[in-house]
Amino acid sequence: MHESVQRIKESIIEGRHKEIESLVREICKTEITLDTVIQEGLIAAMDVVGQKFGAGEIFVPEMMVSAMTMKLGLNIVKPLLTGKAGAPKGTVLMGTVKGDLHDIGKNIVIMMLEGAGFQVIDLGVDIDVEKVVAKVIKIRPQVLGLSALLTTTMPEMKRVIEELGAHGLRDRVKVMVGGAPVDAAFAEKIGADGYGKDAAQAMALARSFVGL
Amino acid sequence: MKATSYNLFMSALYGGRKGIRPPAGNPTSIACVELMKACGAFFPEAHLNARAMADLALAGHKLAGFDTVMPEYSVHQESAALGCEMDWGNETRMPDAKTAPHLDFSDVIVPESILEKPSLRVVLDALSILRREVGGQVAIIGKVMGPWTLAYHMAGTQNFLLQLGLGEKDKINRMLRQLMPVTIAFANAQFRAGADAVVLADHATGNLVGPYHYRDYLLPIHQEITARVGGPMILHVCGNCLDRLELFAESGVDAYHFEWQVDAKAAVEKIGDRISLIGNLNNPKTLFQGTPEDVYKQARYAIEAGVDIIGPECAVPLTTPLANLRAISAAVLDGY
Repeated sequence: MHESVQRIKESIIEGRHKEIESLVREICKTEITLDTVIQEGLIAAMDVVGQKFGAGEIFVPEMMVSAMTMKLGLNIVKPLLTGKAGAPKGTVLMGTVKGDLHDIGKNIVIMMLEGAGFQVIDLGVDIDVEKVVAKVIKIRPQVLGLSALLTTTMPEMKRVIEELGAHGLRDRVKVMVGGAPVDAAFAEKIGADGYGKDAAQAMALARSFVGL
Repeated sequence: MKATSYNLFMSALYGGRKGIRPPAGNPTSIACVELMKACGAFFPEAHLNARAMADLALAGHKLAGFDTVMPEYSVHQESAALGCEMDWGNETRMPDAKTAPHLDFSDVIVPESILEKPSLRVVLDALSILRREVGGQVAIIGKVMGPWTLAYHMAGTQNFLLQLGLGEKDKINRMLRQLMPVTIAFANAQFRAGADAVVLADHATGNLVGPYHYRDYLLPIHQEITARVGGPMILHVCGNCLDRLELFAESGVDAYHFEWQVDAKAAVEKIGDRISLIGNLNNPKTLFQGTPEDVYKQARYAIEAGVDIIGPECAVPLTTPLANLRAISAAVLDGY
């Protein structure tokens, strides 16, 4: 790997948010392609961050700073991208289900997805089933991510999936679920397409859903 | 030792003599809709009215068979007193703070009369009622939020964690130090009002923050809190905290209340007899969705593993069946 790409990668992994913009600006002036900067620098860094989080080497505060650092870098590169290279990897609709106001987990997943090159639309918290369905019809995302932190709001995930089916949308969108009380067995039981134990797994799932 | 609820609980809390059976305890909350209906004390009144608060706590002893009474069900009594706008919820929804008044990490000025703020006064009054009615027979547990949890409420959880990640040590430490007197004052007031033990709930949660965060920021503060509070304290931290159990044992608390994510045997093995352990029945799968038989089996596993006091891992979901709470009491009645 080119040394300057490696520097960008390390800068994100270590959350050195103050230096990332100048590093990316410099590399954009070289002959290194923007695709290399994104794939081998920015996205590869977030993969490492996800692995370190999964292994318990870092925790949410460090992950948030890495995601913030990556986004600062991405914001420099994005306006320079043209044509296909600038297109998002896919669109993900994210939200915390009705009755549930927790959003940290969801927000971290969003940061990771954006880092992986997805366009993410955040529906926020306490979202009505009807609103989710309307947004799926309007936006036509490839992936819908649902979050719940309360045992009492978990059943809302099932309601969303049922309503998508009732509207003939179930085959058009992959549904992934997550949150502290949720597990793979629950995801399977309610007919979700996948379960992410943490933000890194959610990112991997979304990638697999769009064939990356 | 007489096998009263009070004796069994207090002896287990200090790792003392074993009675004829382990006690069932609830350091967080076992309030559920069925208990509310049975005693006629409902949310949100039971967060705001001392008599309703005490009645619901008593129902946990009289109707669910626990050896403790614990009259504080929300994590927002202090944050309400510190200026957060509150939604006190309803019988199926826990209270939630609608605002975080110190998002900018501005100085938190603690009012001199904070113990007289309605959301704190109500807890103290409820504890006094419980002391008059069941003192010396049933263990009375109070609860305070630690500075870390209060900082989530003051600065916003996500914002607080981001500043932590950014290494803003001075900012974090200043806020924790400004909030610590609230924890100490409320805990001491709870002991004066009638509590036998006070839970220190401080959410340096496993999977959310690391053991190094706890060690660097919170451990010295917990040591100061336990040194300045005049009674036994039970630490409650959510999540898988196996990686920081030994740090908890250095904090000066008498017990740690832990979650199902930590295997009971592994916890006992790691902590030995340095502090007592309370827990650790799974809330979402077993207590909420399981059968009384499932609950009984898990409680027996915890007893056999050597957990000192048996109870749910955290505040139970509000629609938890009462029969499942009773299954915990049934498991402890079968002795060691």
